[in-house]
Amino acid sequence: MLKRKLMLLPALLLTAAAALSGCSQGGSTGGAGEKVINIYQGKVEISNQLAEMKQVYEESHPGVTLNIQSVGGGTDYAASLKSRFSAGAQPDIFTIGGFQERDLWLEYLEDLSDQPWVQNMDQVAKDPMSANGKLYGFPLNYEGYGFLYNKDIFKEAGITEIPKTLSELEQAAQKIEEAGYTPFVNAYAEWWVLGNHNVNVPFARQDDPEAFLKSLDDSNADIRSNEIFAGWLDLLDLTLKYGNANPLTTDYNTQMSTFANGQAAMTQQGNWVQPTLDGINPDLNVGMMPMPISEDPEANDKLFVGVPTYWVINKNSPVKKEAKELLEWMATSPEGQEFLTTKFQFIPAFNNIQGDPEGIGKLGADLTQYIEEGKVLNWYFQQLPIGTPQDYANLMQSYIAGRDTRDEMLKNLQTSYDNLKVR
Amino acid sequence: MSRKKLSQWTQQLVFVGPTTIFFVLIVMIPFLLGIYYSMTNWNGVSRDLEFVGLRNYAHIFTADPDFRNAFWFTVRFTIVAVILTNLLGFFLAYFLMKPLKSKNVLRTVFFMPNMIGGLLLGFIWQFIFVRGFAAIGQATGISFFNLPWLGNESTAFWGIVIVFVWQYAGYLMVIYIASLGNVSKDVLESASIDGAKPGQVLWKIIIPLVMPAVTVCLFLTLSWSFKMFDLNLALTNGGPFNATRSVALDIYREAFTNSRLGLGTAKAVIFFAIVAIITALQVRATKNREVEA
Repeated sequence: MLKRKLMLLPALLLTAAAALSGCSQGGSTGGAGEKVINIYQGKVEISNQLAEMKQVYEESHPGVTLNIQSVGGGTDYAASLKSRFSAGAQPDIFTIGGFQERDLWLEYLEDLSDQPWVQNMDQVAKDPMSANGKLYGFPLNYEGYGFLYNKDIFKEAGITEIPKTLSELEQAAQKIEEAGYTPFVNAYAEWWVLGNHNVNVPFARQDDPEAFLKSLDDSNADIRSNEIFAGWLDLLDLTLKYGNANPLTTDYNTQMSTFANGQAAMTQQGNWVQPTLDGINPDLNVGMMPMPISEDPEANDKLFVGVPTYWVINKNSPVKKEAKELLEWMATSPEGQEFLTTKFQFIPAFNNIQGDPEGIGKLGADLTQYIEEGKVLNWYFQQLPIGTPQDYANLMQSYIAGRDTRDEMLKNLQTSYDNLKVR
Repeated sequence: MSRKKLSQWTQQLVFVGPTTIFFVLIVMIPFLLGIYYSMTNWNGVSRDLEFVGLRNYAHIFTADPDFRNAFWFTVRFTIVAVILTNLLGFFLAYFLMKPLKSKNVLRTVFFMPNMIGGLLLGFIWQFIFVRGFAAIGQATGISFFNLPWLGNESTAFWGIVIVFVWQYAGYLMVIYIASLGNVSKDVLESASIDGAKPGQVLWKIIIPLVMPAVTVCLFLTLSWSFKMFDLNLALTNGGPFNATRSVALDIYREAFTNSRLGLGTAKAVIFFAIVAIITALQVRATKNREVEA
């Protein structure tokens, strides 16, 4: 009997140990008086530069430690951020997109309206992060996209003017083909090329995009009968007609190498590819031009510019004050500004900071000019119901593969919107 | 209470108690919570949520073509995968019961794929399909390798089937080997003395006697292929055009990509009910066919 009872002890101990080990989550405060700002961000391409910024900042701000975690690339940042919150390990600063993601996270966001850098933000950067008259996010940078074009090939093919209508674009494509190059290289295997950027065109080109989205929400608008969507499909067809073989298996890497090596003259991408292009072919003579969907040159002459990520502060954070100081330092101090411009190679989303011409490259320069001339349209794909861009990419791929007709695809776009708008 | 009874209770408590606690903690409670969340509009982030009754369920059946497509894909996949995996697993076991020299090596080799995780397998096979097959196709000109692997609906479907069968056939092989080893030599010997041909021995004697293993293997493959997620995610990610999106992947997308946790959970509840019914039916059907030697 005694023997049996003795066996009970280790069994119980094991159970207790297993139960205890499950709940040993530490707090975020470091040593005595030390403030730790936990930053969770989704731009992996600047993770090295952020590590450098951490050093500089910690040296000039004793007692403050930045704990920066970069998640992205292959992993799903949005999903991992959600699981962080449900696990109770909320970061103090995290990054989200505008519009829909703002609404999703709104109850956790600290009001930043009174911060000194807000006065230097353009309306296009404010809109996606404003709600109830308050501003909730720190814009990290501007990014913009359109068609990238190879200036040398254009010259060789005898194209002197940038095409600003559909028919001019078709003529240009014909000339390029005659000159022996592929006019377009289409990376339609990438969901974001289609579902974010391409599909943004017909939404942004509506007379009043906000009102159009609103009427879609109220089931008063019809995508199928909308002329702008028809024009957009004309453009999509044009890129396919004059495009590379197998657009649906062409991924981002293939797209970049084909374009940078001068095999194709045009491709749909944004200024963020400049470092990639430089890596493949530093001498590439590249520019950015609009994506025409009609015969109206003035209406077509627009690039699509948005703020891809905002830094936001968690309302429940114990180090809110320090977090705000960090953002202020980034936006107003010379050292912080140097990171935004030279180190990150960004186009700053503050109108008092000039981008570094060396850092932003030729694409950034073209984009900056469009921004300064006000010839920009916003990124309305951030305003579509969450999940819609991914779904739209699938529907468009199905159309590109020839499985659906134009009308079927437009119908599917509408069905998908109607499904996903239900929250 | 007598001393004997007390000691019995203590035994139960010690051996079953801890498991029960953890089962309740990590299976029962989340399951019940899930049923509750499936009737809310929770978006996965917000702290306040609204009770919406059966609205999510109604939405799935009326306004969500994705779930129907995913379900149809999963059913087709399950049928094909269950049959092929079991056939291959059984015949591997059957031939590896023969006195072969390389028997043990081969058993290990066939079991090996099972040791690698589904995600990793998915990425490795994606490379094999997209690059490897293309290279072989170019070198040899065999049309099978020149198909657009993973590029259209049918090759993507069969691509997943191939990897799934390759991954799990070895595991089933082990179960079948164990079961085949238990078939009494006397029965087989008397059968051959009575003049039964090898085919007859297989069909009339061996298979009925390994039915318990068939029950287990069918059950395992049914639930594995119904619940397939990681392989699907890594190999095709549901593409092309959502044609190979399994129900598990659709639930994940609904919950995390679309930020509709409530709706995703409702899909999961429906999925649970269907899988439970099908596997219960299957176990009952095959149990009836089990015989004693």
